[in-house]
This record gives sequence, C-alpha cells and structure tokens, in this order.
Amino acid sequence: MASTSAAGPSNNKPFQFPPHYAFPPFFTLQPTLSTRTSQLHSWSQLIQAYCRHHHLFSLTLIDALATPLFHNAPLRRQLSARDARAIVDWMSSAEGDSRAEWIGAAPKKAAATAAAAADGDEDTRGRFWVFWRKPEEWAGVLEAWVDATGQRGSVLTLYELAESDATANQEFHGIDAELLQRSLMVLVKRGKAQMFGGEGEMGVKFF
Amino acid sequence: MSSNRRGVGLSAFTRNHISTAQYASHGNALRSAQSDSLQTQLSVFQSLLHQFSITHAKDIRSNPTFRAEFARMCNAIGVDPLASSNAGGGKAESGGSFWAQMLGGSVNDFYFELAVRVVEVCRDTRAENGGMIAVAEVRQRVQKGKGIGGGMEVSDDDVLRAVDSLRPLGSGFTIMKLGHNQMIRSVPKELNTDQSTVLEAIQVLGYVTLSMLQINLSWERARSIAVIDDLMADSLVWVDKQAEETEYWSPTFIHDTGGQ
Repeated sequence: MASTSAAGPSNNKPFQFPPHYAFPPFFTLQPTLSTRTSQLHSWSQLIQAYCRHHHLFSLTLIDALATPLFHNAPLRRQLSARDARAIVDWMSSAEGDSRAEWIGAAPKKAAATAAAAADGDEDTRGRFWVFWRKPEEWAGVLEAWVDATGQRGSVLTLYELAESDATANQEFHGIDAELLQRSLMVLVKRGKAQMFGGEGEMGVKFF
Repeated sequence: MSSNRRGVGLSAFTRNHISTAQYASHGNALRSAQSDSLQTQLSVFQSLLHQFSITHAKDIRSNPTFRAEFARMCNAIGVDPLASSNAGGGKAESGGSFWAQMLGGSVNDFYFELAVRVVEVCRDTRAENGGMIAVAEVRQRVQKGKGIGGGMEVSDDDVLRAVDSLRPLGSGFTIMKLGHNQMIRSVPKELNTDQSTVLEAIQVLGYVTLSMLQINLSWERARSIAVIDDLMADSLVWVDKQAEETEYWSPTFIHDTGGQ
C-alpha cells in the first residue's frame, strides 16, 4: 500500500479475514437501514483489523480498492469506490466512533490524489486515516512507553520515536509523522509534554 | 355371581346392598395395596435418582453429552427438570423444586444461565440477521463467549432447552425449522407461507434469485419481488448486486461459509 513508508516488523502470518469476508453480499452495501448499520460496523472492524495487522496508518482509497481488503478475488466480489467511500464516511462520523478521517490536502501523495482526480472522483478525498488507535489512544500508548522506559524528562526527537531501534517492537514504530505529531499534541494539551524544534527535526520532552 | 340371581322379596334389597359394600371394600383394599407398592417404587426410584444425580452432578454440569442423555432420560419418564422448578413443589415433599432439592439447583441454574447467554447472542446479532439465527451458530458463539463464565460446554440440545425455559417469560423466543436447520427466532413476527418457502429455499444454496423463484415455484415476478422485499426489510436476507443476476443471501451463511 502506497501510503505508509516504513513497514513495522513485517508480519509473516497472513491476515485472517472475518467470516463476513466470504459472504458475497458483504460487498454490496445493504439498502435496509438496520442491516446496513450492522454491515458498516463489520466493515469498520475489518478495516481496522487489517490496518493493524499490516501496520498501516492511512489508506489511499483508489489503491486500497485493488487490495485484498476491498477485493475478494476468489469470490469475485469487490467493494465499489462509492460504497467504500460511504463506509469511510460512516467510520469518520460519530456513529462510526471516528475511526477514520479523510485527509484534506495531501501534498506528499500528489500521485495518489492525481490518480483519484483522473478517475473523476472527488479529488482531495482520496486518502484517509484509519484510526485503529485514535490520536488520544496513541498518546496514551506513547506516554506508557515513555513511562515504562524511564524517559520522562529526557528529550526525544520525533524521528527517534517512530524509527529508532528502541521502538522497533512497539506498535507505534513506523507511525506516520503527521499522526505522531497529532498524538503528541494531545499530550501537549494535557500538559504532559512539550514540543519544540522546527521543520525536519522536531523534538519532544515528556514530563 | 349374585347379581344374576334375582332375590325375591324385600330381603333382595339388603343382599344387594351388602354385596356392593363388599365390592367397594375389596376394591379399596386392592387400590391401596397398589398405591402402596407404587409409593415404595416411587420412593426407591426417587432415592436412586437422587443418588445418581448427586454422584454425577459434576458430569451433568460439565459434560454436554451426559447432560443431554440425562435430560432425555428425565423426559422419557415424564420428569421435566425445568418445569418442576416452576411447579413449586408439585412433586416435592416440602416445597421448593424437586430438582432444586435434588441437584442443588445446578441443572436449573445451568439452563437459566445459558438462556441469558442465548438472549445476549440473539440481541447482538439481530441487526445482522433480522432476529433469526441458527441454533448451531448460537452454540458456537456461546462457547466462544468472552464474558464471565463464557466458554460454556454446551450442545445444541442444551440451547434448545434453554430457549424452552424462556417460554414462561413470554419473551417471544421461538424455535422454528427451516429446511433441516433449527433456527431461533427472537423477533416475534409471523412469517407468511411465501416467506418461509423462500427462506427454506435459501437454506439449500445459500441464496436465491428472482428467476429461481419464478422457475421453481412458478411464482409471478411481482410476487417474488414482494416476498424478497419483505424479507429484506426485516433483515432476513442480504442483497448481492455483483452476481450475474442479483442474489439474495441468508445471513446465516456468513458463518457457515466463513468457518475456517
């Protein structure tokens, strides 16, 4: 998947799809409201589990449509772009527990957005966060890790947090820089950390 | 013997009277002898059953096959472990349930606990399957359950019994047969014949299409559409628009086909 640069410790075990994945109608959004809600729940869980397994923090809709996540090749069923968008929209809503979020402008992923635009789809809505942990939850994880490793009071760079060997077996290893900053901002707001530095090299100090 | 001989005169009345009285007393004697022997048989049986259930109380709780056999045996001799707890001492000597006394309530409690689980499973999956779920599916979910006391060892038979124990509550949980699958219906809504026919047909392949209904049941198109629409509105079927002809699937197959 295009959107995540560094893969964490590569998972050898194949992702275990839920039973719904083998159920053909799962790939057609259901017209009945209650059925649809249940279906959206199942999709949300599947997407989160899939991203967690493959250590992905965001997806590009157009690319994701071709991956096994949205395309069950043996079953010859695949989610349409429109339905996939509806699912992400739902996941972003309060009802969907804000488990996703469209990324407004994504200059880094110009290629992806261009592809989306070329496809005639809404241009900027190509990429989205999948919050299998929300920023607030990541904040908790980061804080717990800092606590456990006794690094309160010391200064860490954001790069160190995401990419150093010390975090290699942590869930947040390889985390998207933008998402990391957002999670740290949560801690800053709580008065648990302070961020400084500028473009390229940002540091953070935990209290 | 004397009834055929016609007495003459008034004395005939007395004789008649005496013989009836004799018959009656003899009958009484026979009856009481019989009931005495029944009483002893029953008490012997009761104490044996008591002993049996005490020795095997653990098995009854933990081993589903054993429990099913035990329940079947009770059924065969006309003792219903569940019903007798409601009967409030119908059979028991000193109030309280016959079974509760015998087994320390363990059999009852077991089924009531299970019934609570079953209700939970049905409620959790209602949006997905419209309140219709296969008994086997419920069993699997109960066994996999993560809640407190989850992972109970149960058989399909236990689940059926548990659903049965809900009846006094008027909860609207019913068992229905679809094809050769037993389903628990947790939404009290009657299915009409057309709907059940379609659901039964779905059990065979997992899905139906409009033309399948038209050809096999020689229904008119409008009728097929109406039935399918009703079933969809009740979440009893899911639509798959990506097949050659639109297919209508039963959500019970989510788990059948997905089992690894």
